[in-house]
Amino acid sequence: MNKQQFLIDAGLEVRTLEFWIEQQWLVPDETASEISFSDTDVARAHLIRDLKGDFGVNDEGIDVILHLVDQLHGLRRAFEQLHKDMASPQR
Amino acid sequence: MRNPYEVLGVAPTASAADIQKAYRKLAKKLHPDLNPGDKAAEDKFKEVAAANDLLSDAEKRKRFDAGEIDADGAERPQHRYYRDFATADAGHPYADSSGYADYMDQDDAFAELLRRSEQARANRRGRDLHYALAIDFAESIAGASKRLTLPDGGTLDVTIPPGLVDGQIIRLRGKGMPGSGKGGPGDALIEVEVRPDPRFTREGDDITLELPISLSEAVLGGKVRVPTPTGAVTMTVPKGSNTGTTMRLRGKGAPRVGGGQGDELVKLKVVLPKGPDPELEAFVSNWDRKAFDPREDGAS
Repeated sequence: MNKQQFLIDAGLEVRTLEFWIEQQWLVPDETASEISFSDTDVARAHLIRDLKGDFGVNDEGIDVILHLVDQLHGLRRAFEQLHKDMASPQR
Repeated sequence: MRNPYEVLGVAPTASAADIQKAYRKLAKKLHPDLNPGDKAAEDKFKEVAAANDLLSDAEKRKRFDAGEIDADGAERPQHRYYRDFATADAGHPYADSSGYADYMDQDDAFAELLRRSEQARANRRGRDLHYALAIDFAESIAGASKRLTLPDGGTLDVTIPPGLVDGQIIRLRGKGMPGSGKGGPGDALIEVEVRPDPRFTREGDDITLELPISLSEAVLGGKVRVPTPTGAVTMTVPKGSNTGTTMRLRGKGAPRVGGGQGDELVKLKVVLPKGPDPELEAFVSNWDRKAFDPREDGAS
């Protein structure tokens, strides 16, 4: 989706989005001429909003949490792959 | 929905601060994105969030306490959680394998499986990086090689193409942030500022220059040296040249798109010697001043 649609879906203002991208909390796809966002980016923006707004986490805390959450998902993905491979061991 | 006070575990007399505190405590524990493996967390979190939405709004809370609305009016709009994508979508740029990188380095079947799962991650191109660079006017016409020092101490060699215009962006493929998997790195985008040269003005492919000449060069003609962005050249000023006379130096301008080269336009400007010059005054007094009236065509 384009930037405008993303701002609506994620409920963000342009300046907030720019700051988040600068912090690399969000990494939109800039391969094409126009910046584009995925559903994953929208969901991640909601998480950041919840952390900052509802939970009172500051910017440093966001960095730490996102890093840990991303590692957790990395582990879960590896775990899932292992699970699949063990269920059907043919390669 | 259950009674929102029970959901949050607060008394009906609780203050707004108590409600926020109770909500934060529960939400931090129950947020689905902080519990990616707990399917029940989402329902519990929704209930807590809805209770908070109701009780943290003083107006809604008052109406609920008065029995005007029930707890079901406070359903949150649905949105999908990050956890729904983060594990399943292998192609997003946030994927991070550092939590098990040490296991991958081992030399056994388990490590092999982990490495294969790592490779399964989709390939995403790295981000583009943006830089700024200032060059001289002459370099913008003739082209140049510049070395850009990056904030991290690294350097980037930039080839300035001949004829570059102010504000033009040069793209260096593959010099941006590294990508993941086979995605390849992003590009470096360099915005080039051309420092103005007081002598030259660029108009499209042509360059304009104002060249001062002496009275005798104007009257008698002669050879003069003319600066161009690529070095000085000799030009012949014809006899009887005047202020405003424009001479064209072919091919001394900026390169044209599609081949060829613009011209340098040299505007002559007759300049008298500085200060009083008795010899010149005596000479001009003897000159027939009636012979020429520059204002006879009504210019004044």
